[in-house]
Amino acid sequence: MTRFEPKIIAFLCNWCSYVAADAAGVSRFVQKPNVRVIRVFCSGMVDPSYVIKAFASGADGVLVAGCHPGDCHYLAGNIKALRRSFLLRKLLSELGVEEKRFRLEWIAASESPLYAKLMNEMIEDVRNLGPCMPSSQKPLKGVA
Amino acid sequence: MPKKKLAVYTATGCAACENTILDIHYDLGSLTRSADIVFWPYVLGSQWDGLNEQGPVDVCFFAGAIRTEADRIAAVRLRSNSKLMVACGACAAFGGLPSLTDLHPETPENRPEHLDEGNEFLLPKLESRVFALEHIVDVDYFVPGCPPTRDFLWAAIQSLVYMGDSPTRISFTASRLPMALAESITSGIVPPRGSVFAGEKAVCASCSRIKEEKKFRGFYRPYEIDPDSGRCLLEQGILCQGLATREGCGGLCTAVGAACRGCFGKAEAVFDPGAKMVSAVSSTFDSTEASEIEGLTKTFVDLAGTFYRYTLATQCALRTPNAEEAKHAPDNS
Repeated sequence: MTRFEPKIIAFLCNWCSYVAADAAGVSRFVQKPNVRVIRVFCSGMVDPSYVIKAFASGADGVLVAGCHPGDCHYLAGNIKALRRSFLLRKLLSELGVEEKRFRLEWIAASESPLYAKLMNEMIEDVRNLGPCMPSSQKPLKGVA
Repeated sequence: MPKKKLAVYTATGCAACENTILDIHYDLGSLTRSADIVFWPYVLGSQWDGLNEQGPVDVCFFAGAIRTEADRIAAVRLRSNSKLMVACGACAAFGGLPSLTDLHPETPENRPEHLDEGNEFLLPKLESRVFALEHIVDVDYFVPGCPPTRDFLWAAIQSLVYMGDSPTRISFTASRLPMALAESITSGIVPPRGSVFAGEKAVCASCSRIKEEKKFRGFYRPYEIDPDSGRCLLEQGILCQGLATREGCGGLCTAVGAACRGCFGKAEAVFDPGAKMVSAVSSTFDSTEASEIEGLTKTFVDLAGTFYRYTLATQCALRTPNAEEAKHAPDNS
């Protein structure tokens, strides 16, 4: 049987994380090929619907990465991303998407080794969880 | 003009949609002058056997979600007998409250007993999940709401039954429908298939409350707070779903201090009501500290059941059933 290859969608901020991802490639850090990068101007513009749409369209994991708090090119975009992440994670887990499938990380432009490490780590985490199928095959978790 | 034939039926639901049809009062009398209601088990005690004798039905108002095998059979039968099929109410249009049972799926322990044919009480088999009407059969029009507001339902009935025959009725109808629908009806054209008999914008557009800066310091459940009159409910910490919900009710609930629960389904421009609400609510958190925001988040209860209260079966992007699933009748013995 072939090994399950997860699909990860990474929303990377134009000013820090995307540069880190770029530099990680140029520096030839070993990275697994399961990531589809989407460059956005700021992690603060990643609406929860983008994340939900990614999962609904067959992504097995979603990473949102931005500048470290205080370093945002637009002053506080990454704080906006941070604010949304908690409620979004809670909603996702109620709908049967495990917590490890959605990550919010701060990756500065100079941290290309960190980018490669995080991505490889996340791919293995998601691989262990298996394909993301919240729609039908699995009962919902719910609360109360 | 020959009399039109109407059918009304509720599958898994509470029959409040049917009550709303009765609620058009004296107009019901004028409706029966130009249409015969040939099948309405709830009010007329109609039998299924009688449906075939009536010949094809012009408009069928189908309420209720598809949760059991019996619901599916009813939907398929009424569809094949009717020229126009209208999903009436939130359950038929979006899955409605019954679809929340998918949050607590059937397990061997809580499973109801399906007794043998010989026994007196026979429960129909449950579907693998709750479906909206459009998952099972083709639906021509949607009238959302829980129950649909009387004016919209009456406008929908008039535009589909009279089909441009009566100018006075049409002026009533046109004044209550969104412009595109109203224009097609006044020019005597059947509204485009799949039209929703409600507004396009969000409920906030017709809500009378004053909206100022939103800062969330805590979340309150409805019994914990007596909201100020006249100020936006979301600003006061009540989870009001008006901003993700289709308008058309005129802000009935918010006007009396009850938060919008989203019974008209998502607004046209919203991708997923849950995502929209997460975005809207969390962007109003009055804090930049991760631990503080996490603490605030913990006070929220049952997000899936709140944000998708009426729409889990159709509008939750993560729960949309695939075609395979909807096609198969249940075979749980």
